[in-house]
Amino acid sequence: MGSLRLACAHTAGTAASRLSRLLGRGRGETVYGRTLLALDPQALTKLSRNRDIVLVSGTNGKTTTTNLLSQVLADGTDEGVSTSVYGANMTAGIAAAIGAIPRHRYVVLECDELYLPEMYRVLKPRVIVLLNLSRDQLHRTGEVRKVANLWHNTFTHDDVTFVIDRDDPFLEYAVSQAGHVVRVSFGGRRHPDAATCPACLALLDWSLGDYQCQCGLGSTLATVRSDKRLSGPARNAVLAVEAARLMGAVVPLEVQEQLTIQAPDRVTEYDVDGVTVSTRLAKNPESWRGAIVATTAPQVVLSVNARGIDGRDTSWLWDIDYSAFAGRTVVCTGERQLDVAYRLSVQGVEVTVAQDFAAAVRSLDASLPIQAIASYTAYQDLAAATMGIRKATGGRS
Amino acid sequence: MTLTIVRLYHDLLGTYGDQGNAEVLIHRARARGIDVELVEVSPHAPVPTHGNIYLLGGGEDGPQTAALEMLRADQGLNTAATRGATVFAVCAGFQLIGATLPHADGSTIAGLELINVETVYDSSPRSVGELVITRNDLILTGFENHQGLTRLGSDVTALGTVISGVGNGIVTDNAKKTEGAQVGNIFGTYMHGPALARNPELADEVLSSAAGELVAYDDYWASAFAAERRFTLTHLRRK
Repeated sequence: MGSLRLACAHTAGTAASRLSRLLGRGRGETVYGRTLLALDPQALTKLSRNRDIVLVSGTNGKTTTTNLLSQVLADGTDEGVSTSVYGANMTAGIAAAIGAIPRHRYVVLECDELYLPEMYRVLKPRVIVLLNLSRDQLHRTGEVRKVANLWHNTFTHDDVTFVIDRDDPFLEYAVSQAGHVVRVSFGGRRHPDAATCPACLALLDWSLGDYQCQCGLGSTLATVRSDKRLSGPARNAVLAVEAARLMGAVVPLEVQEQLTIQAPDRVTEYDVDGVTVSTRLAKNPESWRGAIVATTAPQVVLSVNARGIDGRDTSWLWDIDYSAFAGRTVVCTGERQLDVAYRLSVQGVEVTVAQDFAAAVRSLDASLPIQAIASYTAYQDLAAATMGIRKATGGRS
Repeated sequence: MTLTIVRLYHDLLGTYGDQGNAEVLIHRARARGIDVELVEVSPHAPVPTHGNIYLLGGGEDGPQTAALEMLRADQGLNTAATRGATVFAVCAGFQLIGATLPHADGSTIAGLELINVETVYDSSPRSVGELVITRNDLILTGFENHQGLTRLGSDVTALGTVISGVGNGIVTDNAKKTEGAQVGNIFGTYMHGPALARNPELADEVLSSAAGELVAYDDYWASAFAAERRFTLTHLRRK
């Protein structure tokens, strides 16, 4: 790490990042990362030397799992961990996380699915955790299968250990040429996007709730067998614990059990004019299904945008069953509020729309519980709108 | 009369939310007092031939080829279409009811030949984005996400003319960019959204092709949604 060029790039990046923060242009990680890489294109290679790196990728739960894994690894090794905290998971965000001072030996990084091959080659991680692959941002990835193919063609060596949910056939296919794989099974479950085998395209037989293709995909025995009843976040917690153990952390069984019971989810309590609204992030069909189950309040706000990261095609709204909201008070907001309103009305759910999140909350009865589900940028907008809506958690009243 | 809507291979052709087309048709039919029965056909199950409307959606290359092979072996959809049943096919579904299309392995294969269209792949990038067309003086919108250019045979009418987006991707002799196809009761389109949710008039056209003349019906949310998309995409820049 003792490169003069790297040191200069780091200093310049830090200065640029400070300036960006002073100008109110966000937290500055991306600016830092871009400056660093512009001044020292080899920065990632240099910064990854002599460090033990874990990459976390997949469609759902990357940020939560990265945070959890960092915590488990720190607790289980009594050492510091460098990590990406804000979900910045492309090259610049990764550079910011790995370049930040102090530079701990252990590094846990969230990585975008399409950037994973490059980061694998450049950073030479010890462990890669693959959570799942499902439909998300199809305008960018094209098809789920394309990501699986990209990974399959990348992971052909035995220089890294994978931790995967083997119940996902796309992941099983992605690592089928890799040397070291810890396969965690949760007893099998139907994958909504895997009607055909990712390897040979034959129809998969899901009649028993699990797959095993005639071509052999799915026939390798699981390394770890876990509980069938676990939720998505809890399954990811199990994968995080397995990865932490591979890195040398000591994780007692009772800690693991606690983690799966209280698996964290992306929920934030927002205060809107004195009314607390528990808001859940949902980015794609898979996470919406989970969020709907967890949303039990009599009053619900749904906020959907369709900017790049949300997925610009909103057709996926029709893949989700919203009938659980029938009989409750539902307000739709966000840039695509009418997509949501019409979709729900076809399912017999009565809806209204509101100009923005605050207006939606104001239209509701403040004496009854309110829960919200927001798509990615709608959730970010809420977090950024600290003027009218303050985060209720975090101390300041 | 009970209207039978047949949704084909949702498992294989449900990647882009097109299953919503069935829900929209059912909703709009029931609003007119029409009895509707939805038949879901799973892969390898026989395709009923007595249906009134058959729906095919978009899917990935591998599942598209698998669906085509099963439909060819079954012949139920061909029988129904020959009898005059309505077929509404989107994206991968549109390509596979044509004469030829690319196989998942890149070679050219024969489609179901319900309509005379040919789809080819060229080196152009995937067509992804909002698609706006005119059809009979009406603006229709959808979201396209496909590889492939579709050439219409001389006996095939386009579903509409492209205002923005790619659509079929082939410019005709009279310099028109076409989108989708129609021959009698057989409709093909590249519009997701789903197409019938974003375009209630098209939904009614598909419905009436099977159920006859429909009484007027205004669904507030359907109209508001369609109008918002049309306004945003024609008055603001294409996103």
